[in-house]
Amino acid sequence: MLDTLDTLEAIGQDAGLRYAAPEDLTEASALAEASDALKTAIREGNGLALANEFGSRVMQLVQVNLSPGREDEEPEEEGDEPEPSRPTGPDSL
Amino acid sequence: MTSSVNSITAETPRGSIACVGVGMTLGSHLTPLARSHIQQADVVFAAVSDNVVEMWLERMHPDVRSLQPYYGEGKPRMVTYREWVEVMMTEVRAGKRVCAVFYGHPGIFAWSPHKVIEVARAEGFAARMEPGISAEDCLYADLGIDPGKFGCQHLEASQLLYYDHEIDPTGYVVLWQVGMVGNRSIARDGHGGGHRELLLERLTQDYPLDLEVTIYRCATLPIEQPRIRRLTLQELPHAEISAEETVVFPPAKPLKRNRRFIERLAALDNEQVA
Repeated sequence: MLDTLDTLEAIGQDAGLRYAAPEDLTEASALAEASDALKTAIREGNGLALANEFGSRVMQLVQVNLSPGREDEEPEEEGDEPEPSRPTGPDSL
Repeated sequence: MTSSVNSITAETPRGSIACVGVGMTLGSHLTPLARSHIQQADVVFAAVSDNVVEMWLERMHPDVRSLQPYYGEGKPRMVTYREWVEVMMTEVRAGKRVCAVFYGHPGIFAWSPHKVIEVARAEGFAARMEPGISAEDCLYADLGIDPGKFGCQHLEASQLLYYDHEIDPTGYVVLWQVGMVGNRSIARDGHGGGHRELLLERLTQDYPLDLEVTIYRCATLPIEQPRIRRLTLQELPHAEISAEETVVFPPAKPLKRNRRFIERLAALDNEQVA
């Protein structure tokens, strides 16, 4: 028997399941023993209901600096211009 | 010292690091090579998009350490990212095979993967990056955009305000992280109305207010579908836009032929025929 994480991975890897309509997916044999939380999440089309099974955490998604040319360089004296001394690359956004 | 992780020999146990992407959608995008890096590592660090994805990772390795706790209310992001580099390098220096897992592609809109590889190589450790399916990749598929058709420019929203970028409205323009524009920490999350007013002012230098733009979010769980909304540019400052949503501008002006280079190309062709 697959648990919810295994089932999610199985859905993600199966072309027939990945884009199935929610009503078809919840009736699929692969989900015969799926948890109520997963079935609700499928019907609602998002993962909010999975919080009932896994809990919820706020995940920060941004992984780059949003004020380039200042915080991605060494600390500067107060009042320095926020201009980089060299061209910024993709790794210094 | 080679930069190849695989070239490390058993006789000379040395730390190494591989930065890999899990792609955007759980189960759908993880490459066999990324999975192998995860499974062969001594320790795995994770900065992923969803706590379910993090739990999924924990199925692949018994020592997955989340990087999420390093964020802090009001704490500059760069402080967090430098801490990530340091905590990963601590394990590399201790001789561990480290795998750092990021959502999407580890080298796109992510500072610390590039930095940790730079630092590791400078110290003589093997380090490499494995690509993952990015939000950009999903965007092309879900919105039916071919970047080769008219050209496609990618800009981070805050950078568009900080620097005098030139927008090319004859091609697609993809504006990332509009929901976080001007936000240096995680204190204010996605509600920069004033910042977005400034962004609108900048954008109207190149676009009409009634231009229809697309707000896009790709699926992170395989039970989701992409979220695609359309609104006019003038609605942008007050629209609900989350950190993971992207604004796509369609070509707003026709491509203009470069007659000078077309003539020179023709001249070259004629020379080759003659």
